[in-house]
Amino acid sequence: MKRQHKLRVALVALAIFHFFILFAGFFAPYGFATQDRTMPFAPPTRLHFVDARGEFHMRPFVYAYAAASGAGDASYEEDRSRPFPVRLFTAGAPYRIAELIPAHTHLFGADEPGRVFLLGTDAFGRDQLSRFLYGGQLSLLAGLIAAALSVGIGIAVGAAAGFYGGWIDDALMRGSDLFFALPWLYLLFAVRAALPLHIPEWRVFLLIVGVIGLIGWARPARLIRGVVLSARERNFVTAARGFGASDAYLLRRHVLPQTYGVVLTQLALLIPQYVLAEVTLSFLGLGVGEPVPSWGSLLASLQQYDVLASYWWMFLPAALLIPLFFAYYAAADALQERLKSVSL
Amino acid sequence: MGIHRARYLGIALALVCAGLMPLVSAAPKAEWMVTDNPIGHSGGRLVVALRSEPKTLNSVVAADTSSRDVIRCLTADLIHINRESEKTEPALAKTWSVSRDGRQYTLHLRRGLQFSDGQPFTADDVVFSFQVYLDEKIHSPQRDLLIVGGKPIAATKIDDATVRFDLAEPYAAAERIFDSLAILPKHLLESAYQSGNFSQAWGVGAAPTQLAGLGPFRLKEYVPGERMVLERNPYYWKEDRENHRLPYLDELVFLFVPSEDAQVIRFESGDTDVLSRFSAQNFSVLAKQQQEKSYRLFDLGPGLEYNFLFFNLNDLASKNLPDIAKKQAWFQDVRFRQAVSEAIDREGIVRLVYSGRATPLWGHVTPGNKLWMDAKVSHPARSLVQSRQLLASAGFTWKSDGSLVDAGGNAVDFSILASASNAQRVKMATIIQDDLSQLGMNVHVVTLDFGAMVDRLMKSYDYEAALMGLAGGDADPTPEMNVWLSNGSTHLWHLNEAKPATPWEADIDRLMEKQLVTLNYAARRKLYDRVQEIVAEDLPVICLASPNILVGAKDRVGNFEPATLDPYALWNVEQLYVR
Amino acid sequence: MKFLARRFAHAIVLLAAISFFSFALIQLAPGDFFDAMRVNPRISQKTIDGLRAEYGADKPFPIRYARWLRSLANGELGVSLAYNSPVGPILAVRARNTLLLTGVATLLAWLVAIPIGIWSAAKRGKFADRVAGAATSTLLTIPDLLLFLALLLLAVRTGWFPAGGMISPGLEDAGFWSKAGDIARHLVLPALGLAAVTLPMLVRHIRSAMIEVLEAPFIRAARGHGISRARLLWRYALPAASNPLISLLGFSIGTMLSASLLVEVVLSWPGLGPLLVEAILSRDVYVVVGAVLLSSVFLVAGNLIADLLLFAADPRIRLDSRGVNG
Repeated sequence: MKRQHKLRVALVALAIFHFFILFAGFFAPYGFATQDRTMPFAPPTRLHFVDARGEFHMRPFVYAYAAASGAGDASYEEDRSRPFPVRLFTAGAPYRIAELIPAHTHLFGADEPGRVFLLGTDAFGRDQLSRFLYGGQLSLLAGLIAAALSVGIGIAVGAAAGFYGGWIDDALMRGSDLFFALPWLYLLFAVRAALPLHIPEWRVFLLIVGVIGLIGWARPARLIRGVVLSARERNFVTAARGFGASDAYLLRRHVLPQTYGVVLTQLALLIPQYVLAEVTLSFLGLGVGEPVPSWGSLLASLQQYDVLASYWWMFLPAALLIPLFFAYYAAADALQERLKSVSL
Repeated sequence: MGIHRARYLGIALALVCAGLMPLVSAAPKAEWMVTDNPIGHSGGRLVVALRSEPKTLNSVVAADTSSRDVIRCLTADLIHINRESEKTEPALAKTWSVSRDGRQYTLHLRRGLQFSDGQPFTADDVVFSFQVYLDEKIHSPQRDLLIVGGKPIAATKIDDATVRFDLAEPYAAAERIFDSLAILPKHLLESAYQSGNFSQAWGVGAAPTQLAGLGPFRLKEYVPGERMVLERNPYYWKEDRENHRLPYLDELVFLFVPSEDAQVIRFESGDTDVLSRFSAQNFSVLAKQQQEKSYRLFDLGPGLEYNFLFFNLNDLASKNLPDIAKKQAWFQDVRFRQAVSEAIDREGIVRLVYSGRATPLWGHVTPGNKLWMDAKVSHPARSLVQSRQLLASAGFTWKSDGSLVDAGGNAVDFSILASASNAQRVKMATIIQDDLSQLGMNVHVVTLDFGAMVDRLMKSYDYEAALMGLAGGDADPTPEMNVWLSNGSTHLWHLNEAKPATPWEADIDRLMEKQLVTLNYAARRKLYDRVQEIVAEDLPVICLASPNILVGAKDRVGNFEPATLDPYALWNVEQLYVR
Repeated sequence: MKFLARRFAHAIVLLAAISFFSFALIQLAPGDFFDAMRVNPRISQKTIDGLRAEYGADKPFPIRYARWLRSLANGELGVSLAYNSPVGPILAVRARNTLLLTGVATLLAWLVAIPIGIWSAAKRGKFADRVAGAATSTLLTIPDLLLFLALLLLAVRTGWFPAGGMISPGLEDAGFWSKAGDIARHLVLPALGLAAVTLPMLVRHIRSAMIEVLEAPFIRAARGHGISRARLLWRYALPAASNPLISLLGFSIGTMLSASLLVEVVLSWPGLGPLLVEAILSRDVYVVVGAVLLSSVFLVAGNLIADLLLFAADPRIRLDSRGVNG
């Protein structure tokens, strides 16, 4: 019972998270490219319920932020002269739901010219919360695609290698070694540099992530091969063969189910890992182009020492990722246990 | 006086003379240079960070900045550019004279100097050095600077301490050629040169005993991947006013720290004593701890670097790039370029990209260039209204959704190329993208690694617009001529022109050629001012900003006088001392 | 014996293919080493062309590859365009530094992962397992880069550890033990960081493999025989769970030269990583190919060792290595 409970909780958490990200346009108060050049690196806007006179308001409000000191040092002070209430279901920048339906209602927003930056702003004064939500669309999609690719190819190759053995095994494993050993970094640079200028940024990004996914099948393949190698020698496999079962039947019914444990572990680990691999890409300049956000580009700014040392709110997108990945891992674990008890 | 007394007198006189002989016939004292700096004291070690490892210690083939930084401490030149005043001063050559037609420079070398291994320095070394620099088979990156009027400079030995240089044409910046041209020891390198292996000589693996130079330091130790240690050159030819031989420092250590952030961190934690050229954002972080960690930070104002946006104006007839060729109709219209320039928020760039520590630019010569900047170049304020008027007059119109279309109805959509490794330029491109979107232009920022970007800019011409920066190493306009001459190798926006494509390019050609051979500074100034004004009007490049030079040093570093010319912190390394 | 010989032959073929493909891939990326000089207004096209010809970089790809193979036969790895000297010695020093770091980190990771993995599996579902699971998941979700940066920040703020590098300046003439101690102090943060990012995966796999084994009947039978829990775990369950673990070990060994790239760059450890990144960015062809080849040797060796161990450890594989149909 506990197992089912755990799975359900994890799946619900994942669904909620993905829901927020799918409808990023609605939940985000601002567009992802909207710059506010008067407020670079502004800390998260404080929501107030009690105003300067000591009165309590049901509706929270914010104050405007003014730059406190001169050259360079981005520190802000609240200007308490004018409160800007935060309202629900405000009309804001237009966006498209699922790229199709135009809309412009946002869940919340502050009266203009007030700003509500719940996660602070980046170097160009862009709202981090909005960029986090929009960035999730790209990053999650990329992670899913890359992981699916890797594991899919891994299963095909690993099972074939382990099951048939012999020269097929050798050829496939050497092929996977080749893939793994190649300087994928170089390949990425080459792919990126050779592409024509006129491809939209997000497509470039997906291409690069696809390349990672394609390259990354080596590890799952190896692990699956190891399991298949021993699975095929099991008694029930020999017995089934004795009954005249074909290779395909054996694979499908007896051998591959043995691999589900490894497959699920790999999948659950790879999705978040490929999302995180983005950070390295952005670090090396292979990330998605400005101004489109992805989680990688949000976190890549932390590699600069001044951001790391002074602007703590830039860590928040990373902090928000932790519960998401937790949910993935928990779901994977629960699934694994479930399948384990079902098989054999 | 008897005969005996006379004889004694004679002998005494002879003895006295014999005693005095050594003094009289002694060699003249070596002609050291006396420097003007505040007096320091000997001893101590300085640790400096380098962005990458030096690739070679051979000054003839060295092309990367790290190698040159180290080589500068190991070698000396004939005439040196003082980084503070930006003017030339004597170095190994104590005086020189110019012939009336400006084609002959006769340099008188200091006598009695020795290399760091004790061997004497003579005119033979100078002639040998120039022979190597000019050798066509060696392909030295320095060689091209020594070609004047199409012919290489000729160096002839007049006597042991005099060398004559013959130029094919009078050359205004002739003196400046000699700066950073290290004089090599003939006795150590001649055999390598004769056997044709010169390029391999003096790599980083060379033993210290194989090297010698006239600089303040000599190599002590090299640990690959870690550091390079230099020790004082006991034979150095400079002394301070109180006759202390320079350099003051016992040792100079170059630590290899590959990224700027890592350098900042190590400076803050005390591993290094000097921090050269870091970003404005790091300045703000470091400024907070100045007192506790005993270091000082300097904001020296603008240097010579200028960042600019430019469009692809190349002749694309032979390339298969129809889309870009169509867009060139926009790029080639000066009103389009002017509109773009007026829409760019330069103040925003200075504030957001450089935290205020930069200067907005409208021309390519920065305020850091005290001798050559033309203050008359106009600085129009940012005006979207003006931009729109310019675009309208060029035949552009706006659709109902605000997007810009040209006379043929095509949406204005192009990409800006920027190098991924330069975060500041990517940021500038992002700001420009946003600025131009307010004009209805749809701009993409494309980041590539530097090699790929150079390939597109200079080989395949497969780009639309690009954002780059150039940091002139010298204030004088002549070394950078290849950017402005229409047939210059770095005439980035339009390479390989058979003849100037536009009248204003022809004008620039004429003016630059003229200033090359004009020897009078005021006259050259007038010519170059005109070039700056043409560039600002016709906008082959849209200049954006020049970052301030930011350096830092521990309090204990004495005589630290950073300058706005490279090397900013170590140009006076022989005068630095540890308190 | 035949098995060994075959594997060895495969290894050679693989290395040859790797060298060919990485050489070819480098041609894909536009621009070569000398292009960086083209943007310098002070250097003429002629000089650059001359330099290019001098290094043979203007020859077509097959000729360059053939030349490189020939020098490889002589035991050399080509010449670095940037350093103007043979690639071999440059790589050797850096590889040594990297191996020091990854060796320590891998050892640390495995030594910590095995007990934790086994213990988690044994205490499955209980509080201890949940805590361990939460801890490893947290470690997994933290991006490597962030972790290394945090370590760097720690070093700077507290001053307990050096903020980068391998040896402190000024110790050139010190004795062996003080140098070793100094290196050890510099090793702590990068090794900890690297171990921390490889640990979670290991723990998860060990745990999952152990759980599978622990459910097998023979374990219950052994328990019924009264064999103590500890002995059960270590002497019976662990060997049976070794299949995926051996593959993982092969990976660990195989990636010893490549896994540390990020940590070396962030914490300034003078290993192969920073060299490779710089060589890639500046298109120093032979350094890249040499480094890739070296990493591949390790990879191949790692796989070979894993295959051998699998062969030796799992009798089920030994019976028939030619496929189901014999």
